[in-house]
Amino acid sequence: MPSLILRRFGFAAFTIGFVSIVMFAAVEALPGNVCTSFLQRFAQGPRLERCIEQQGLERPAMVRYGDWVAGAVQGDFGYSLKKRKPINELIWERFRNTALLGGLAALLAIPFAIFLGIAAGVRRDRSLDLSLSGAAMLAMTIPEFVTATALIYVFAIVLQWFPAVTIVSPGAGFMQMLPNIVLPVLVLSAVLVAHIMRMMRASVIDVMASDYVQMARLKGVPERQIIWKHVVPNAMIPALNVIALTVAWLLAGVVVVEKVFNYPGLGTLMIQAIFDRDLPLVQAIALIFSVIYVGVNLAADLAALALDPRLRRKGH
Amino acid sequence: MKKSLLLSAAIALASTAATAETLRIPHELGFGGAESMDPISPQRFYEAIQNVYSRLVRQGEDGRPSPDLALEWSATPDAKEWTFKLRPDVTFHNGNAFTAEDVAFSLMRTQSETIDSPTKGVMGIIDHVDVVDPLTVKVVLKDSHADFPLLTMDYRIKMLDAETCGGDLDVLCESGNGTGPFELVDLDALGTTTMKRFENYYGSKAGVENLELIAIADQDARVAALQAGQIDLVYSVSAEQVPLFANNPNFTVQSVPSGRWVGLVMNTQEAPFNDPRVRKAIRLSADRDALGKLVYGKGGYIVSCDHPVWTGDQYRKEIDCSRDVDGAKALLAEAGYANGLKVELFVSDISEGAVKLAEVLQNQAKDAGIEIELVPAPADGYWGDVWMKEAFFATGWSQRPADQILNEAYRSGAAWNETAWNSADFDAKLGAARSELDFGKRKELYGELQDELWETGGSFIPVHLNITRVLSSKIGGLPPVEGFSIRYEDVTKNGSGS
Repeated sequence: MPSLILRRFGFAAFTIGFVSIVMFAAVEALPGNVCTSFLQRFAQGPRLERCIEQQGLERPAMVRYGDWVAGAVQGDFGYSLKKRKPINELIWERFRNTALLGGLAALLAIPFAIFLGIAAGVRRDRSLDLSLSGAAMLAMTIPEFVTATALIYVFAIVLQWFPAVTIVSPGAGFMQMLPNIVLPVLVLSAVLVAHIMRMMRASVIDVMASDYVQMARLKGVPERQIIWKHVVPNAMIPALNVIALTVAWLLAGVVVVEKVFNYPGLGTLMIQAIFDRDLPLVQAIALIFSVIYVGVNLAADLAALALDPRLRRKGH
Repeated sequence: MKKSLLLSAAIALASTAATAETLRIPHELGFGGAESMDPISPQRFYEAIQNVYSRLVRQGEDGRPSPDLALEWSATPDAKEWTFKLRPDVTFHNGNAFTAEDVAFSLMRTQSETIDSPTKGVMGIIDHVDVVDPLTVKVVLKDSHADFPLLTMDYRIKMLDAETCGGDLDVLCESGNGTGPFELVDLDALGTTTMKRFENYYGSKAGVENLELIAIADQDARVAALQAGQIDLVYSVSAEQVPLFANNPNFTVQSVPSGRWVGLVMNTQEAPFNDPRVRKAIRLSADRDALGKLVYGKGGYIVSCDHPVWTGDQYRKEIDCSRDVDGAKALLAEAGYANGLKVELFVSDISEGAVKLAEVLQNQAKDAGIEIELVPAPADGYWGDVWMKEAFFATGWSQRPADQILNEAYRSGAAWNETAWNSADFDAKLGAARSELDFGKRKELYGELQDELWETGGSFIPVHLNITRVLSSKIGGLPPVEGFSIRYEDVTKNGSGS
């Protein structure tokens, strides 16, 4: 068992290392370098030479990669030429904001989705199930930027209940942030709820049809007890993976949603960095995102191991 | 019942955010939060310094210098010594009196090596500043410059309080203590920067009580914020966003001419573009009005004739540069390309409409027997790998006054002389215009330079771009003038709340 857990950790570390190489290589493959992309048409003569020297660009790519990784492991992602600040200072508040947005969405959406999924699964093909499934289908197919724009139109422009875009600084306190995150959380939750609910529903239906549930019914166990004691715990296992995948999806969704609502998180920072061609900042945020992605999947793996003894046997 | 309580709470929350008489304008967060209140800092916070500080001289409605902190000025006949008479009884926000010492301090610090201000190059022309009396300064230049007042009109040459800044020419002064129509209350470049009306302002008192500068880096977000009433204006919207506001009584749409342009560059030293007839033929083949309409939409441009001086500039010369396909063909035949010419044009998505503009010219030039092959170049590294490296390529420039842009882009040997323009006569005229004190004669000289660029130059500048600005209809006193000329003290806002 411990070796199994260690192996999962090893896999995760390997994945992150591989991603960092791919990312570094991709940035290297771009025409120009950090200095030419920062200086644009000032990239000539002594100014360019000075920048190249300061950034240590004359060193071979392997050495620079090594430096970057060594720094990143210690939490030092380098310096943003465009923002004139160490990247650490830039990302901390933004990371907090993104975590707040994503965390709140997950916290609200996951229990709600599980509940709805159970309700729909238990009442399969009845009107409640049909309307919930229909709504989920809709929420899954409409891209989040469309949902976001529609919500802005209704709740910010017409009704003026909530701000359309966030105009507080990234370091603002929770209470100041609160009115600004209502709409983004709604948008993110809509997609989360839809995906998780559908998986939960299917899973509940599967378990409801299984022999041991039939057996329990024949023994005269009350329906309520069957659902909460036998169906839900077993239906949770397959749903867990979907939850992990969906939470990982949040990372991509959060970029789009932050952009639409001008929310001061890592997503907007990443988009700005791409437009500014601020390569070190792009690299840093991409790495953080990949660490989170891998981390969420690792957590789901470990949770599945804990819930399902069958997975703990060799060969898995 | 519960629901309606929640709703009214939300409504209350939203409406307390906006109070009457507060003008809220967005800024683009160009320096990512490192915005500085020092007007000559490379990261100057333009929207804030514009309202907190004043200049000696500001843009008049005709584009010519008009009095601000200086009431009048005069020069010696060689245009080397300039005397400015200052406005009396002006105070800074902290109560200090504004005097000639402050002018000397504010002008000399632009040259500091330590601050390394972007204004250093232009203001380097100042040799020293003499304080004649508390309300008179004499600026002594190293070279003649008949348009020196125009240089002091630069949006970064603001007057600071020497005492507040500690009198040290080599340190940044970020106090925000100026003589402008608004006082700084709270600086928060990443969030909302607040200002209030300065009651002792020397001009007419500001029309709104408070001014808020709100950081919104994203263009679409600015538009959404304007629609939702979180801000009162957006400086520039794209052609696609105009329909959101046009015909909506809650908004006013303004089309504002600007000095920005996107153009194509022929290197005048490289074949086949080293023949002025070839350059002219290519430029003659263009139907500029049709091109402008296709690329920037109706009302999005003003036709120009391959010189960089825009319509708001006092030295702009109007030239007739209508399309002449036969003329172009004749020039090509003369140059030895009777059977047509084939050239490569390097383009990339570097400036608004650059690729589209090249495509339209490609089509128009066909009629004159010119075949332009478009070579797409990556936007990454464009300014290092393509710009000023290839013989025919796209470019983009922001607004500059005539003297500055002509010197920056066409003086032989200038770092950004993208057409490799090399004309001793042109350089001489640039110098002559600078030392000509008579406005009429000066204007004539700048006109001749523009003529020369149209006749033989290597730049293809079909249009200057207009900016589409959108205001809430509650806003008054904001005429359709370009950004540097807006006077926020004249702006009013009516209606309570939002």
